[in-house]
Amino acid sequence: MSKIVVLGAGISGHTASTWLRKKLSKKHEVIVVAPVTYYHWIPSNIWVGVGRMTPEQVRFKLEPRYKKVGIIFKQAKAVSIHPEGNKENKNSFVKIEYTGQNKTGQSELVDYDFLINATGPKLNFAGTEGLGPDKNTVSVCSYDHADHAWKKLQESLEKMEKGEKQKFLIGTGHPGATCQGAAFEYILNVHHEIARRNLQHLADIKWITNEFELGDFGMAGAYIKRGGYITSTKTFTESFLKERDITWIKQAGVKKVDKGKLYYELLDGSEHEETFDFAMLIPSFTGPGLKAFDKNDKDITSEVFAPNGFMKVDADYTKKPFEEWKASDWPETYQTPSYKNIFAAGIAFAPPHSISKPMFSPNGTAIFPAPPRTGMPSGVIGKVIAENLIEWIKKGDTSLKHRASMSKMGAACIVSAGFGHFKGGAATMTVFPIVQDWEKYPAYGRDIRYTVGEAGLAGHWLKWFMHYMFLHKAKGYPFWWLLPE
Amino acid sequence: MDNQEHKTIAYSEESYPPMPTKTTLFWRRFWPYQVWRWIVLNLKILRIVAGGHS
Repeated sequence: MSKIVVLGAGISGHTASTWLRKKLSKKHEVIVVAPVTYYHWIPSNIWVGVGRMTPEQVRFKLEPRYKKVGIIFKQAKAVSIHPEGNKENKNSFVKIEYTGQNKTGQSELVDYDFLINATGPKLNFAGTEGLGPDKNTVSVCSYDHADHAWKKLQESLEKMEKGEKQKFLIGTGHPGATCQGAAFEYILNVHHEIARRNLQHLADIKWITNEFELGDFGMAGAYIKRGGYITSTKTFTESFLKERDITWIKQAGVKKVDKGKLYYELLDGSEHEETFDFAMLIPSFTGPGLKAFDKNDKDITSEVFAPNGFMKVDADYTKKPFEEWKASDWPETYQTPSYKNIFAAGIAFAPPHSISKPMFSPNGTAIFPAPPRTGMPSGVIGKVIAENLIEWIKKGDTSLKHRASMSKMGAACIVSAGFGHFKGGAATMTVFPIVQDWEKYPAYGRDIRYTVGEAGLAGHWLKWFMHYMFLHKAKGYPFWWLLPE
Repeated sequence: MDNQEHKTIAYSEESYPPMPTKTTLFWRRFWPYQVWRWIVLNLKILRIVAGGHS
């Protein structure tokens, strides 16, 4: 009998645990530890943030879903990992602290044979003074944040309906933030809501980003076929904003936010201020603050985790300049080098380096996006880890033959604006692979046949289709396993 | 959208990106063509998912 503990119930952790449960017999235990009550489909938060969906439409309770299929659910946060056990407990274990199930605040030690760390990121609002829904800006990073953003947006819309001008600032709220795609989708949706009320004349909408050029999206941009040319996503993205009279500030590292005003440094080292009435700014991400200890209770956190709190895996972490980065730097199995029975999935693994080129201002401020890892890659990584563990447990095969490097897998980013069958629009971007492979694809870094950028209703329908398809899959409805990650 | 509504400020960042023409906007919303693009995009994404892991 094997005991597999999965930390986290987001896209990656949920994918891993449900595949493990489906493929392993009931004599093996699958335990999910997550501090939340609900699974939620993060890409649809954008629609919650403009009032087109309610939080109920993008989430469902985890406990009944897991109970139905025989996954043990512990609503708790992981505090520390003890891969070698300790003096009292010779087994590997995780220390958890309950956040629900009528045990809030209670601690428990959970033994494991295999551990999948899929905790996702900590939204590091504290990394920027004055940032966050409890302070001076809103966020769409979770369904409750998005619901709060909608309430704040309504206040601005009501003021505009009374003839008052409003300034909207949307983008990244930290010099090293990622998830530009989500912020970009939100700015288009905010514009759509303003336009359908015929209030554009009262709106000043501005995009603020840490990208060197627009369209970088934390993946160093992309080349796409468009209008008879192979062009960059910079042109594609700027065109989308220009079409909507949205202006932009690029190469900006937001350092502080006051009520109605933010302060940022540009890559040239100059300092600036920008006022706003409504600001949705994405924070930086860090690991959740998990600690690790050896059998003597010595702190080995720095051996198991990178300085940013994400877990080290089978990547090449050697420090080297941008020009020497290779596709092979990126991990394939997500197994930790120190402990072969621990894996890190989705956002929880430490990338070897960013995908975008590191940029520093003359003051030494790092102003460039961290690599995105949400959605499709998170799901694929979760499944690949599960497949390898299934073969390990069933056949004793430790070769980890299933692989999924971000330099060999693609991703789709659909930025949909509007609502309804024929009134929406979308910018659909697919990249293959996510991390550029300049050795294999010397012309454009990626396979130009599958790296696509196009605008139109088709992408909007695709986003709708994905909302229902992936919630169907996550809920474990009939034939869920036939649907791709 | 009537492109004539946009005021271009020469040499500004915003003056350089391309603007869609009326024809481009028509094709973006012409649903029979978009049904075809929906099928094409789905096939491309399926290919990406299938080829992304082994």
